[in-house]
Amino acid sequence: MNPTRRPTVRARAVLPAVLLLACGGEEARDAGVQGAGTVVFKHFKVPGGGEPLERLLRRFEAENPGVRVVNETLPASSDRQHQFYVTNLEAGSSDFDVFALDVIWVPEFRRAGWLAEVGDLLSEADWDDVLPGPRAAVTWQARRYAIPWYVDGGVLYWREDLLRKHGLAPPRTLEELARTTRTVLDREGDPGLAGFVWQGRQYEGLVCVALEFITARGGAILEGNRAALARPEAVAALAFLRRLVDEGLSPPMVTSADEEATRNLFAAGRAVFLRNWPYAWNTFQREGSPVRGKVGVSAIPPFAGGRSASTLGGWQIGVNRASRRLEPARRLARFFGRPDVQKTLALEAGFKPARRSVYRDPELAREQPFVVRLEALLEGAVPRPVTPFYPMISQTLQAAFSAIVAGLQEPEAALRSAAIQIDHVLELEEG
Amino acid sequence: MRPVLAREERAGPAFVTPALALIAGVALVPMLGAFWLSLHREMPVFRISRFVGLDNFAFLLRDPRFLKSLGNTAYLTFLGVAIETALGLGLALLLHRSFPGRGLARAALLVPWAVPTVVSGRLWEWILNPSYGILNHVLGTDLNWLGHPSLAIHAVLLADVWKTTPFAALLLLAGLQVVPRDLLQAARVDGAGAARTFFHVTLPFLRPALLVVLLFRTLDSFRIFDVVYVLTGGGPANTTETLSVYAYKLTFSTLDFGYGSAVAAVTFLCVLGLSLVYVRLLVGRRA
Repeated sequence: MNPTRRPTVRARAVLPAVLLLACGGEEARDAGVQGAGTVVFKHFKVPGGGEPLERLLRRFEAENPGVRVVNETLPASSDRQHQFYVTNLEAGSSDFDVFALDVIWVPEFRRAGWLAEVGDLLSEADWDDVLPGPRAAVTWQARRYAIPWYVDGGVLYWREDLLRKHGLAPPRTLEELARTTRTVLDREGDPGLAGFVWQGRQYEGLVCVALEFITARGGAILEGNRAALARPEAVAALAFLRRLVDEGLSPPMVTSADEEATRNLFAAGRAVFLRNWPYAWNTFQREGSPVRGKVGVSAIPPFAGGRSASTLGGWQIGVNRASRRLEPARRLARFFGRPDVQKTLALEAGFKPARRSVYRDPELAREQPFVVRLEALLEGAVPRPVTPFYPMISQTLQAAFSAIVAGLQEPEAALRSAAIQIDHVLELEEG
Repeated sequence: MRPVLAREERAGPAFVTPALALIAGVALVPMLGAFWLSLHREMPVFRISRFVGLDNFAFLLRDPRFLKSLGNTAYLTFLGVAIETALGLGLALLLHRSFPGRGLARAALLVPWAVPTVVSGRLWEWILNPSYGILNHVLGTDLNWLGHPSLAIHAVLLADVWKTTPFAALLLLAGLQVVPRDLLQAARVDGAGAARTFFHVTLPFLRPALLVVLLFRTLDSFRIFDVVYVLTGGGPANTTETLSVYAYKLTFSTLDFGYGSAVAAVTFLCVLGLSLVYVRLLVGRRA
């Protein structure tokens, strides 16, 4: 990018925001802190991980004399972080050198030319040690554009005590899950008890849930470079979600619920099943929690004859290609990819490591057995479509899935129309 | 006397220039820039950046999602402003009477307006929660306020009205102060009832304040963003998506800067058109 063009480009990215929201102020920065050898690390607010992260950065500084890391936190909302990165990177900003990327942003940022290649930071053996989902997400044409930091995957929680009370086993298929829910709800006869709660609000979380059900049925969102949404597998999966609401197995609130709304309901002891992320586990086991010691957890079960699937989530470490301190920035990225660093974060903040070898660590097995139990599930986690156009595709998916679960449109019609729109987006790449 | 005045007149522009330059710099230039951007196909991910004239605007007419969000915005604006103004007028008339604790009541009125919209949005999210929200509890209903396609937009409307009615009430209360007491007394002496007094004495004096309320609220409401963003994110199935939310998603979620700017530009033009109508009404009245 031509440096003299930068101000206009920056202005362009920021303009609609000024018109709409009169927002901003995020770019204000004290230029004085960036001496030679200072690396700026931008990331989201790490829940429960602020202090461990700070200690790790001091360790990095001790190992790399002369390098200082400035740690800058962004808002917790993933959308806001995306907005921050897009406006700044599009403007060619070099205000930050290393940053944390949601797994779904990597192809987009790579395509836009914002990420430095980092494949050589890890040896081939090290890359083989990385879980396949995140490895695929950061790879394009055999080149790597970010270092997998930690992973996440959707899981199913249930009330062990309620199931045992009624002599029921944890469900092995989704059909069984529906039957078990029905049985518990009927026998409990408590109008304050909900069945199966999941995230059905029009947002990214709904795409994650729907992907799990579509995969569980043997379907996919994309196949090759074409939408596979209009296929019977996807239609049946979404129809199943809608039926859960229609038949009262899921409360109506799921169509407006996000992670926290569903987690709170389950944590208050008012739901039998919950689809959520692993972070919820620790909140259930807290002192004073009504469901403490009463919760079971597993991967999302498949439909009969399908495959079990968790949607892959998690964060990667990218290096800003416009960074003026590329060398120390690359060192910091490599640091976060190291097994011992990922182990520290797993021990102290419950992060799920992206490196397989960490899961076999005896100390981790002792201190964080829950993290270690998740390995198999994370190993097989399904990524959302790995394409630079994912944000556009996701907008289409969110609207279509929301229309289905809210009962506004029939699954088949909604998915067929979404497939046409997605194919139209994907054609942009070919044309 | 004269030379001094002439000197002052000459110095005038020099004093005004910094302020004008500031306004131009922070408002006019970015605005024109956004218009310029809306004439481009600008998508950094696709490495696309080219001038397309009015293509983006032509496509708007064929974009059902845009038309839907325009409809939603208009619905929220017109219904919302009407309700806010009516409620605000009622509140202003009540608070204009003297009663014990009036100062406290006037201060309390301002609370919703003083709460940042994002905070009040979260507040309403809890109030409207179908399982443990207080609204369903109080009404004895089991309604899925934010998840039901036809309820969600009214839930947004409710949260917005709650938040902005105090603003209308405050401006109208100020407007009521200029109604001359002797005229009201004269009306009473002449035997006019409360309704007659209101329509023939109070309302004509209140007209400028009413127009100002309508102007401010319409402009503000047409750009409605935060309460929708917090409460529903535009869902379910885009039934609560407004122009600003759509423009935001286009620009920052899908990185379609050109088209996003076109939606933002149309929002601006709508607001401009509406404000011109109001300003005409205001000025026309005075002249």
